[in-house]
Amino acid sequence: MNPDDPAVVDILRRAMVARIATVSRSGRPHINPLYFVRENGKIYLGTVDRTLAALNVKANPRVTILFDVESEPNDRRVLTIHGAAIVRTDSRLCRWYVVRDYRKYILSRPGFLNALAHIRLLPLVRRFVTSGEKGAECVLEVRPERAERLTAPKQAGNKDVYIRRQRDARFLRR
Amino acid sequence: MKRVTLNVDLTEVRDLLERVPRACVAFASEEGPRVELVTVVFTDDRYLVGMPSGAANHFTAHQEVVLLIDDGVQFFDLRAIYVRGHVQPLSGVEGLADDSVWFAVQPTRSVAWDYARMREVDDES
Repeated sequence: MNPDDPAVVDILRRAMVARIATVSRSGRPHINPLYFVRENGKIYLGTVDRTLAALNVKANPRVTILFDVESEPNDRRVLTIHGAAIVRTDSRLCRWYVVRDYRKYILSRPGFLNALAHIRLLPLVRRFVTSGEKGAECVLEVRPERAERLTAPKQAGNKDVYIRRQRDARFLRR
Repeated sequence: MKRVTLNVDLTEVRDLLERVPRACVAFASEEGPRVELVTVVFTDDRYLVGMPSGAANHFTAHQEVVLLIDDGVQFFDLRAIYVRGHVQPLSGVEGLADDSVWFAVQPTRSVAWDYARMREVDDES
């Protein structure tokens, strides 16, 4: 499948978490769930430069990314994208990514409700993100080359997410 | 010295194994990394993974894989179990779906995380 296919773009537009698989220089696999944004046909994933994902991409640019439509419990469409990635550390791109990430994940209604429900943890998040303990901010820029459509096994329902989101909303209404 | 961690004991996210939300395995192939969706059954402290036979053809016995079982969309809902290990073909186990090929993953390293359990811990490094 072509990565520009409307069916591919539709899943990418709805998906929230990307699971990116990489391989180390010595051939060891790794997979990590990351947030992502899409722009001009490329996929950008935020991380820090000492994670296995970033270190592996520096050693071997081949990546495979798995997406599904987590927010819709009955939608079992899954997409894998195969492509080449680079690690971007330039501050302009990192700033652009952070703004897009916030818009997608925090400034949405579910994201905002989730953050409010866990407001006591926000200082820790700030420390976690800015401490540099895990390295400097970076963005994995992926150029998709090929896409595959799959169907998730039945266990891959996402009712729990739905229920938890409703629970957060109920907590805030109290 | 304190540091912030998301890591939790596997027992604290055991519900992910009892009711697997979504699961996949990653492994290296000649073309690069591959990811396959899997069905996971955790029984007798063993991770059993099932996948369609077409996908299983890409595996070799004792190959190193990473099994990821994860849940959540919003930041503080994100939880996961990450198991690195080697696959062993499995047969003769009752109760597993016939339409999949089954493997056992022998863990060499397991990690779990839960963003809602973010906390400070003593830095032992």
